[in-house]
Amino acid sequence: MPDTPAARTPRSLPALPLRVLAVLLAAALLSSCAVRTTSMLRDPNTVRIALNGWVGYEASAAVLAYLLEHELDYQTQLVRIDEQPAWQAMDQGAVDVIVENWGHDDLMELYGPGGNGTVVDGGPTGNKGTLGWYVPRYLVEEYPGIDTVEGVREHAEIFATAETGDKGQFLAGDPGFVTQDQGMINHFGLDLEIVYAGSEAAQITEVRERYADREPVLFYFYEPQWLFEELDLVHVEFPPYREGCDSDLADVACDYPAYDLNKIFRAGFAEDGGPAYELLDNWRWTNADQNAVARMIADEGMDPDDAAQRWVRANPDTWRPWLPEGERG
Amino acid sequence: MAVGSASAPAPPAAAGPPAPSAPPGPADRARRRAANRWVLAAALLLVLGAGFAAARILDTPAWLGAFPAATGEWLTARLDSAYAWIVANRNTSPLFLYGFNYVSVGLGSAVVLVNQALTLLTWPGVVVLGVFAAWRAAGWRVALLVLAAFASFALTGLWNEAMTTLALIITSVLIALAVGVPLGVLAGLRPAVDRALRPVLDFLQIMPAFAYLMPMLLLFGIGNPAAAVATVLYAVPPAVRITALAVRGVDPGAVEAGTSLGSTPWQLLTRVRLPMAWRTIMLGVNQTIMLAVSMVVIASVIGAGGLGDAIYQALSKVNVGQATEAGAAIVLMAIALDRVTGAAGEGGRTPAVPARWRTPVLAGGLAAGAAAVAAGHLAGVRGWPPDWSVSVAQPLNSVQAAAQSALGGATGALGDLLLRGVLNPLSALLTGIPWWLVVLVAAGFGFVFAGARAALTGGLAVLATGLLGVWDNAMDTLSQVLVAAAVTVALGVALGVLAARRDLLAALLRPVLDTMQTLPPFVYLIPAVALFGVGRVPALAAAVVFALPPVVRLVNDGIRGVDPGAVEAAVAQGSTPRQLLTKVQLPLARPALLLAVNQGIMMVLAMVVMGALVGAGSLGYDVVFGLKQNQLGLGLTSGVAIVCLGLLLDRVTQGQRTAHA
Repeated sequence: MPDTPAARTPRSLPALPLRVLAVLLAAALLSSCAVRTTSMLRDPNTVRIALNGWVGYEASAAVLAYLLEHELDYQTQLVRIDEQPAWQAMDQGAVDVIVENWGHDDLMELYGPGGNGTVVDGGPTGNKGTLGWYVPRYLVEEYPGIDTVEGVREHAEIFATAETGDKGQFLAGDPGFVTQDQGMINHFGLDLEIVYAGSEAAQITEVRERYADREPVLFYFYEPQWLFEELDLVHVEFPPYREGCDSDLADVACDYPAYDLNKIFRAGFAEDGGPAYELLDNWRWTNADQNAVARMIADEGMDPDDAAQRWVRANPDTWRPWLPEGERG
Repeated sequence: MAVGSASAPAPPAAAGPPAPSAPPGPADRARRRAANRWVLAAALLLVLGAGFAAARILDTPAWLGAFPAATGEWLTARLDSAYAWIVANRNTSPLFLYGFNYVSVGLGSAVVLVNQALTLLTWPGVVVLGVFAAWRAAGWRVALLVLAAFASFALTGLWNEAMTTLALIITSVLIALAVGVPLGVLAGLRPAVDRALRPVLDFLQIMPAFAYLMPMLLLFGIGNPAAAVATVLYAVPPAVRITALAVRGVDPGAVEAGTSLGSTPWQLLTRVRLPMAWRTIMLGVNQTIMLAVSMVVIASVIGAGGLGDAIYQALSKVNVGQATEAGAAIVLMAIALDRVTGAAGEGGRTPAVPARWRTPVLAGGLAAGAAAVAAGHLAGVRGWPPDWSVSVAQPLNSVQAAAQSALGGATGALGDLLLRGVLNPLSALLTGIPWWLVVLVAAGFGFVFAGARAALTGGLAVLATGLLGVWDNAMDTLSQVLVAAAVTVALGVALGVLAARRDLLAALLRPVLDTMQTLPPFVYLIPAVALFGVGRVPALAAAVVFALPPVVRLVNDGIRGVDPGAVEAAVAQGSTPRQLLTKVQLPLARPALLLAVNQGIMMVLAMVVMGALVGAGSLGYDVVFGLKQNQLGLGLTSGVAIVCLGLLLDRVTQGQRTAHA
């Protein structure tokens, strides 16, 4: 803080910034007499893609954004946001599409045609998603059968850490993901305590550290995921999913369901149609396609846009059919 | 005056017996009072221990057991149904159609407009105009700094992200000032307004940002609108507080002179008060900008984009180097904005341009800017060309990997020790004691250290965490905060004392502390996990890193500020350096030490939610979980509980400061 007394020449007040602000606000308000949240200033030629926080999703979004920009002359905006808020963003009109959705029947009920009517199911992306519990391969070799419910129950104590004391530690990841772990622990009577890593980055760091030291670790994870390229991980077998076996989240008698991942569109975006919608609607690819791009992003540290460009150049036969009829050239 | 530096719940030994050679008189009485205080605090700790033992022995009967859950459940259910109502009625209810949506659309559009203006200027235009403005306002040193900041955005390939962030900062800061400065003036002129505003500002400053992102995005919409409102709320308190302080501090003689000259109240304000308070107000502007910078990173969680986004993107691939690059860009932006506004406030380093040259210089600068913009457009520049980027992510990652393998074993063992020896027992103690005893003891601590009002506030604040339905989590979080604060204060005081005695060390520490304070905490969360594993220990480490700078700085300043006469006298009487420190410097720097303790605790508390991202669990985790899983009830009650813990710790530590300062 200046310590000379405030006796020097008085300065004029910052009138300019205030005036600029007033003009900006007035312009913003004038341009939007309607006051639905969808009225925000934006470029109609911009497609806004929600970007959830895992690399596989990022790979899909990058390729679609690249094609929209370079084949169809759209601008794209990737809005980084978590799974559930992304649905809300669509309801508010702030994003146009979610390109990899994992289940969320409850949200479809709330926002879909039966509820607010602001989102529609866009059909499968072609990717298959698996959620579940994983252990490193070396652990299965050391404790055969540890990749089954019985094995986990028998050896729970080897997963104990200073955080969990006598109980085994089950390492959960990002708080935003779909989980039923506590219900599975309860139902199968496993002597495990969940430690919430709190973010996927923290979870992966911890798994890598344990892996490097060949220490036991049991954790929630999912496929497709780039870490499988780096570490040899095994899915722990639980009784397979049956309809309704996860209805009580405190007592879940089965593994996670296998997901046919799908797209979700903002209802208005789907109704307006246009080449961008047609491309996104036509788009379908395989786990191998997604992994190829995800690997470039995660392992080689490529910029997602560069990775998308490389994939697009190498695979024209895959993506050309996605383009609207008139644009396939 | 033999009171040791106050560490959070100090062990009774810290009171120490009075030294026989101490001078008699009022100092003696003060010392005895202080010693009594520590005896009482020790007694309170014994009561806690007894309560824990009793609950254990009696096998936790109902009256000694858990906090009744009814109120918490009721509150959570209310909040969740409010959430459902808003989701169902956002585009039909008049409250939104004629209320919130106006704010939302206006703000969102403002950010977009500013961003488009920056895009329209192209990067050469932004650089030329920015550097020229910095030179004109603050001199060539600052102009060079601004140039360096722009260069860092460009060379790391983060130009567009930096402009998005800058647009959000500009919009939010302008709004925060448009709201905060008038409120501050009002609070400065009318004590009643000041009293009414103070608890609101306290609340805004302690409430973890993550906790109010949730209601913001619900009311104002995801992306820029919610981000702007949240940033404004987070950044507005210093604008109000410092403006009020500045207006109140205006020389009454000048005001009287103005009045006697027949000025109207409006003239008095605009011609006398505000101009005279201008330089202090600029300090508030400066603080507002700094807070806005730290908030825009968090705002990226709700789709605000920009540099924060780049950090998340790097973190999702566990690429610490890349995250550090983006973090460094934010640090440079913060430092550049800080120096420009700081210099504009002081006015000392503004280049002396003769009056008749002012217009030509301005015109020249604008012309150069316009030329750069035109050149940019002619060359078809849309952003910084990606081929011109250099990346230091790879070397940074190697450094991190090396540090990790060198330190990993030792830190892991230290972490286990901390967990088993301190964190687990303390958490078990706090959650195992009957809740009403904790409430009473919290009030007791408030009374012992800060008097009746603090006792009431502290007791009620702890009670409130129970009423919110998050008692166990609150106690666990409290245990973590206390340990982290104790470590922070111990390290901070030691470092501060050393820095006060060695100018070289102080000079070396300064840039390190600056960086630690402005670097977004996300960046060092991952190294913390790599060193300590997932759990409460890495959270503690990250909190210590974040909270250390102000403690070191305050202790250093406090000791250096001790009256040189007193130091000289002590040296002349043959004090050893150790005696000089413990008998003269530390006692005389007491107000600064207490402020350091208070600030250390508050900063640790601000990291509770960040800690949840590396496995600290408890209140912080529920705040994040609530935000990510759309559970307003859980997220908001946990967030408010953190505010309650903040109130307790602040009142207990701050009260003593004001009583003695």
